[in-house]
Amino acid sequence: MKGIKILLLILFVIFIAVQFVQPARNSNGQVLQTDITKLYAVSSNVQGILKTACYDCHSNNTNYPWYSDIQPGAWLMASHINEGKAMLNFSKFGDLSIRKQQSKLMGIINQIKDDEMPIASYTLIHKNAKLSESDKQVVINWASALKDSLSINN
Amino acid sequence: MTPQIHEYKKINKSIIFFILFTTIVFTACSNATSDKKENGTTVASVDTTTKQVSSVTEAKGVVSIKEILANYLQMKNAFAKDNAKDAANAGNDMVKSFANFNKAALTADQVKIYNDIQDDAKEHAEHIGMNAGKIEHQREHFDMLSKDIYQLVKAFGGEQKLYYDHCPMYNDGKGANWLSESKDISNPYLGKKMSTCGTVKEELQ
Repeated sequence: MKGIKILLLILFVIFIAVQFVQPARNSNGQVLQTDITKLYAVSSNVQGILKTACYDCHSNNTNYPWYSDIQPGAWLMASHINEGKAMLNFSKFGDLSIRKQQSKLMGIINQIKDDEMPIASYTLIHKNAKLSESDKQVVINWASALKDSLSINN
Repeated sequence: MTPQIHEYKKINKSIIFFILFTTIVFTACSNATSDKKENGTTVASVDTTTKQVSSVTEAKGVVSIKEILANYLQMKNAFAKDNAKDAANAGNDMVKSFANFNKAALTADQVKIYNDIQDDAKEHAEHIGMNAGKIEHQREHFDMLSKDIYQLVKAFGGEQKLYYDHCPMYNDGKGANWLSESKDISNPYLGKKMSTCGTVKEELQ
């Protein structure tokens, strides 16, 4: 019995201690000039879908849930966000070459079509990020039209 | 067993748990930083290889995308046989070929063209290399990579006869293109099930 008590106490102390080691927050509160919505026409409908279903991991502004301050969940979340932003960052879309922008748009279309994104581990917790069939079509149509317009102009 | 030893064992157990737990926590949070370090070292090693290569070939000054093209054709043939693993290997090889490419012989304008294409193509090659288990995902990147390689050949020459082929069915009927070394159609997007589907769109000398 005593051993279990000690173990629990140790775990509790570690749990408290790690709460003080918080990763940097991914939210600077402003929309950059390189944000996709500043560069191209993005309807409010599409913007709404992108913000609820994509921006948490694919932009510089994560909308953090209340439990995001609790460790070790915050580390996990920070690593997911870093991974997501490395692949695609809507806030820095303007920094990409036109060729890459087209590739990323094609990637968005394919990932949504294949039901790879939004990723299942994310929609499990964020139920409202799950895209309906019509939501998917709205985003796919927007991305295809934008991609085609980029290839015509360049 | 005396009660004392029993107690001792229990404490021993809790120490093991404690160590286990802390290792898990520490590995979890150090993962991100070690990834970055790895990236840093690969970049550094790439730099040195390009320097070596450029110093060797500077005298010759020959622009050749032969290696990159060879990796691409290998990848194309792997996809035609539905072989995701070989395609992934070709993708990884292509990343290396891009790193080894001799830019010293390019003019300033050519460097711009090359960098633009390489920046995009390398990412597709990386994704194809990483996704050996997901052939459909690899093919999506192959579609975009094919456009890049076609433009690379257009800009720098392929040093061999090539065919630019078209598959009308891929991408939900939007179609997709690929480069081939042979006139016979061997479709890399649909694989074995529709191997001969497609047409030659353009012949490149």
